[in-house]
Amino acid sequence: MAEWQEVILRSVGLFVITLLLVRIIGKRQASRLTFFDLVTAIAIGGIAAAVSLNLVPNLLHGLLALLVWTVLPALIYLLAIKSKMVRDIVQGKETVLINQGKVLEDKLMEARFTPEDLLSQLRKKSAFKVADVEFAVLEPTGEVSVLLKKDRQPVTPQTAGLTVGPESVPQTVIMDGTIMDESLTVMGLNRNWLHTELEKAGVPLENVFIGQVDSVGQLYLDLFDDTIQVPQPKTKELAWATLKKCQADCELYALGTRQPEAKSMYSKSAMVLAEVVNELEPVLKR
Amino acid sequence: MTVSGQVKQTVASLKGTKATLESFAAIEQNDQAKQVLHQNIARLEGVIQDMEKRVAILEFEEPQYKGF
Repeated sequence: MAEWQEVILRSVGLFVITLLLVRIIGKRQASRLTFFDLVTAIAIGGIAAAVSLNLVPNLLHGLLALLVWTVLPALIYLLAIKSKMVRDIVQGKETVLINQGKVLEDKLMEARFTPEDLLSQLRKKSAFKVADVEFAVLEPTGEVSVLLKKDRQPVTPQTAGLTVGPESVPQTVIMDGTIMDESLTVMGLNRNWLHTELEKAGVPLENVFIGQVDSVGQLYLDLFDDTIQVPQPKTKELAWATLKKCQADCELYALGTRQPEAKSMYSKSAMVLAEVVNELEPVLKR
Repeated sequence: MTVSGQVKQTVASLKGTKATLESFAAIEQNDQAKQVLHQNIARLEGVIQDMEKRVAILEFEEPQYKGF
């Protein structure tokens, strides 16, 4: 057998073997490689390349080395799940870089981080001013996680003092002009309902690229034909506005009538409606 | 428009909104939102009943405007 044929055979065989062995190590996200992962990956790759290029005279020795380099990491990963100590050694610990708004220079030194590195990592997390950062930590994967100061954090409904209604996941009921029966059933709807809604919007099913139903059954459509403007459903807002109008009407009637009985009935109704409007605001408007 | 006509209109709006809320409550999957909706539908029902009683009195006072 010529040498080149042997190289091809070895390469193909090793390709398959490496593929299978790497599976043993298990699924770990490539984007979150720790230093240890990197070392094993390079070692496995190096051995595989050396064996397939005949750099190792004995095929068996090469395969043995490959086996050790895959089985050992696999074992260590298993151990790491069970024991915190092994985890700390293998995966490394996180390093606090900024604490209470102050950069910890000795920790930076420990992590071999230059000030430029730190600044560029902070910028990646949209923290352009060091003064905005309350806490930053270097994860074992080399990524920096940043906690901004409380007054620099993005506004959430809670910090803005707003109550918001719970919202369930919207269901995609039309994809590429075909009806997804399964998601319709999840919402407790059927094809009949969908056809009615499409008719209301005045859109044929074939023209719909994506159709989604929100938690209260409003249908949002995206069409193939982008020149057509589909009106966005406004049922929620309308219902809320009508309630507000009715509440104002009741107050008006209360002012208008001279009968004390009717006056008290109207003002009571106005009060109840005001409560309803208040309570439904998170559900209907936000 | 007469007073009874105006009140009737408000009652009709309330009934329509109540129906809309009922359809929301039927489809809504989240229990908390469902509960809020049902609670407020019951309140609206109370208001509608009060107003309908008032409509009846108004119709009695102005029989010439009876009916819709």
